[in-house]
Amino acid sequence: MKKKILACLAAAAMTFGIAGCGQSSGTSGETGGNTNTNTDVSGKIVIYTSMYEDIIDDMETALEKEFPNLDIEFFQGGSGTIQSKIAAEKDSGKLGCDVLMVAEPSYSLELKEAGILHPYNYSETDKLVFDYDPEGYWYPVRVCNMVLAYNPEKYSKSEVPNSFKDFAENTSMKDSLSMSNPLTSGTAYSSVVGLLDKYGEDYFKALGTQNVAIESGSVALTKLETGECKEIMVLEESVLKKREEESSKLEVIYPEDGCIAIPSTIMIVDNKYSANANTAAAEAVEEFFLSPEGQKLIVKGWMYAVRSDVEEYPYDAIPLSQLLENTIPVDWEKSYKQREEIRTKFQEYVTVP
Amino acid sequence: MCIINEDTVLKREKKFYFDVKWLFIIAIVGFLLVFQVFPLIYLVIRAFISEGSFSLSSFERIYSVPLNWTCVTNTLITATLSMIFGVLLAFPLAWLVGRTNLYGKKLFRTLFLMTYMVPPYVGAMAWLRLLNPKVGTLNVFLQNIFGLAEAPFDIYSIGGLVWVLTTFYYPYAFITLSRAMENMDPSLEEASRISGASPIKTLLTVTLPLMLPSIAASALLVFVAAASCYGIPSIIGAPGKIYTITTRIVDYVYIGSDEGLTDATVLAVFLMVMALLILFISNFVIGKKDYITVSGKSVRPAVVDLGRWRIPITILVGLFALVVVIIPFATVFATSVTMNMGKSVFEPGNFTLKYWETIISRSSILRSAQNSVVSAVWAASLGMIVCIIMAYLLKRTNVRGRKIPDFLITVGSGTPSVVIALALIMTMSGRFGINIYNTMAIMVIAYMIKYMLMGMRTVVSALSRVSPSLEEAAQISGAGWLRRLRDVVLPLIVPSIVAGWFLIFMPCFYELTMSNLLYSNNIKTLGVELYNYQTYHSQQTASALASGILILVAVVNFALSKLTKGKFSI
Repeated sequence: MKKKILACLAAAAMTFGIAGCGQSSGTSGETGGNTNTNTDVSGKIVIYTSMYEDIIDDMETALEKEFPNLDIEFFQGGSGTIQSKIAAEKDSGKLGCDVLMVAEPSYSLELKEAGILHPYNYSETDKLVFDYDPEGYWYPVRVCNMVLAYNPEKYSKSEVPNSFKDFAENTSMKDSLSMSNPLTSGTAYSSVVGLLDKYGEDYFKALGTQNVAIESGSVALTKLETGECKEIMVLEESVLKKREEESSKLEVIYPEDGCIAIPSTIMIVDNKYSANANTAAAEAVEEFFLSPEGQKLIVKGWMYAVRSDVEEYPYDAIPLSQLLENTIPVDWEKSYKQREEIRTKFQEYVTVP
Repeated sequence: MCIINEDTVLKREKKFYFDVKWLFIIAIVGFLLVFQVFPLIYLVIRAFISEGSFSLSSFERIYSVPLNWTCVTNTLITATLSMIFGVLLAFPLAWLVGRTNLYGKKLFRTLFLMTYMVPPYVGAMAWLRLLNPKVGTLNVFLQNIFGLAEAPFDIYSIGGLVWVLTTFYYPYAFITLSRAMENMDPSLEEASRISGASPIKTLLTVTLPLMLPSIAASALLVFVAAASCYGIPSIIGAPGKIYTITTRIVDYVYIGSDEGLTDATVLAVFLMVMALLILFISNFVIGKKDYITVSGKSVRPAVVDLGRWRIPITILVGLFALVVVIIPFATVFATSVTMNMGKSVFEPGNFTLKYWETIISRSSILRSAQNSVVSAVWAASLGMIVCIIMAYLLKRTNVRGRKIPDFLITVGSGTPSVVIALALIMTMSGRFGINIYNTMAIMVIAYMIKYMLMGMRTVVSALSRVSPSLEEAAQISGAGWLRRLRDVVLPLIVPSIVAGWFLIFMPCFYELTMSNLLYSNNIKTLGVELYNYQTYHSQQTASALASGILILVAVVNFALSKLTKGKFSI
């Protein structure tokens, strides 16, 4: 009983704390050290995420500054790994985390339906340029952009396909292409859903005829460097990261038929399922990630922001507004409801010899 | 009459009630029943029961998909071929290194065992770089030398898969066969030589038949390792559209739904049945005829003189080591210091130590390394305790039931890793009163079940070389069972215990397949980390990590060998 009262009090205190933070964040831009408001946030939370390990390192430092009394632990894994982990954990009644920053909206729809998520009312939804859940169960927090990439040290841009359509249909590219596995990667799955909507099943058939290798992004990038692949379908962030950190010459092609901008979501796990039952802290962290400050961290991690008022864009990339001019839309409802069907179809046409 | 009767009754009672050995057997069997037998049985039951009632519907669903059948065939073909080639390689190598006057025997032995110390998926990456049909380094090299129009090798094929599986799993057979050869009574071979048979004829007509049970056992190890391997087929098979049961199982697990999990178990059951079948054949049909004659005293088999073949054979073995061990390792190492993989590491500005910096500075890697060390130390140490007791029971006593834990340990190592992991997740996450999911305990247990056998084989073979007369002397002087074990047996077999400990420790240290399913926040391990870097973040970082592990192992091996004055090397 005592514990419950204490928890309520703490929660109330934290809500005020957050309210204060929401107001101040607009004015006190770069004073990330403005810790007065967030010192109230304490305890521990665990975040499951599919963001790069390197980005997490930087984020941890920033978050420590922002929430000096909160112990934030990241658990990083591919979206496939995390999803199977969550499935197994769901079975046992408790997840190992409090906040999820993984996969795309279709997975959020699934978790929402399963009753695992906790709703949170974010006050600045008018600033978000991507879909969000009107009831507050999930919000977009970073944008992964599926593009094409080639190696100018081996081939010229005019030699390789400049659109997703050409990627599948240009027969001179046969056996020299690579993409990620829609079964294990959420972004790859979203991309094929978008492409399926735009070009129909023929697109899958064409990919199959091209004999596209299905493998992870890191393997594909290496193959691009060595010249084993002429072109790959890959997340823009992985190429930009290589360019900035390794002065790699690999180049992104923004496909003529549109990029596939995939918003990845942030969600809070309901108290019933969460590891630390620290909803107040989870809400504060969600609020922070959605704020312009948090979004700048995302941009530093080579992903696009989700807010219209964040001008920054990733290293060597294009502004968000320009990206949004030409994209291939993804129907999240469909991608959730027909997941099995679409995956099976993809396997049938592309994966199976 | 009466007195004698009483005496026998007393004796029987004593045997039944006061034998300490029984306690150990019960403890070991209990452990294995709870953590191995029960989960595996549960897995089988779950595969048959869908929505509460017995049905074969999930079987029908799974096996009506043609791709699954292709996976089954691929697994059978690759595992069988790897087994055959692995044993064909391991037998002559074990003989040459163990029983002849080959030059550089020690070096070769270390080199061959090194492969055992490297995560196979790292090797897969190296071979992929060397033998891919378009720009594979070795392919291009051979093309230039012989003026070939097309690349001679294609790694993305069944052949490529078999090649990598063989080169990474023959050490299992090599280790087993080496031990058996050390144990063989040389008098039979000597008799053959005295009767005028040539060394080769002796090898073929005496040594080989005597070794048959050990060959069967080592074949089993290679088969199961190859069939249950995930890393190699996922890296080499997938781009060539060659799928195996393990990659399918992991795919099904990754689907994340309940149905996916059921489908995964159904495939896992098939893999398990296959492994058990092979185990049965190798252990109870061929292995039953245990020809190995061990003499009472410690055995020092005669060294066979290779004569004028000594130099040519040494060169041949050297070439083999160069191709199978040195070139892939060098490739991994070169990758770890190359910035742009499209250019040679020697090009100006392309050499970098940044990936090495990453692995020693990134906190998550250090944490994972620590987790791996701790969990592997636990698995190896607990495993060795079990092994020592088991070896003693097997070789020195006639206690009834001592074969049961032995059998269970063999089954455990014969069970594919994926199956063990799935079974443990389902049964050990609280549903049946034990909740160790998301703790290190579940990993340690999984590691023990899978890898204890290698340690046990080593200790058993060492123990059979220690003459029981020493213990008898101690017994006469009044030492009890535990005391004899501690003061007489253990000191004599310490080098083998250390070696056995390492044989358990190493695969646990970089274990991937099980860890990938069992890991969680606080127990992410190096294997998982390495695989993630390999496939997700950066190949170079992964290579640096793998090279780091290799260097560490080499240093530890060297140090141990110096400390024990050559008695010990892995």
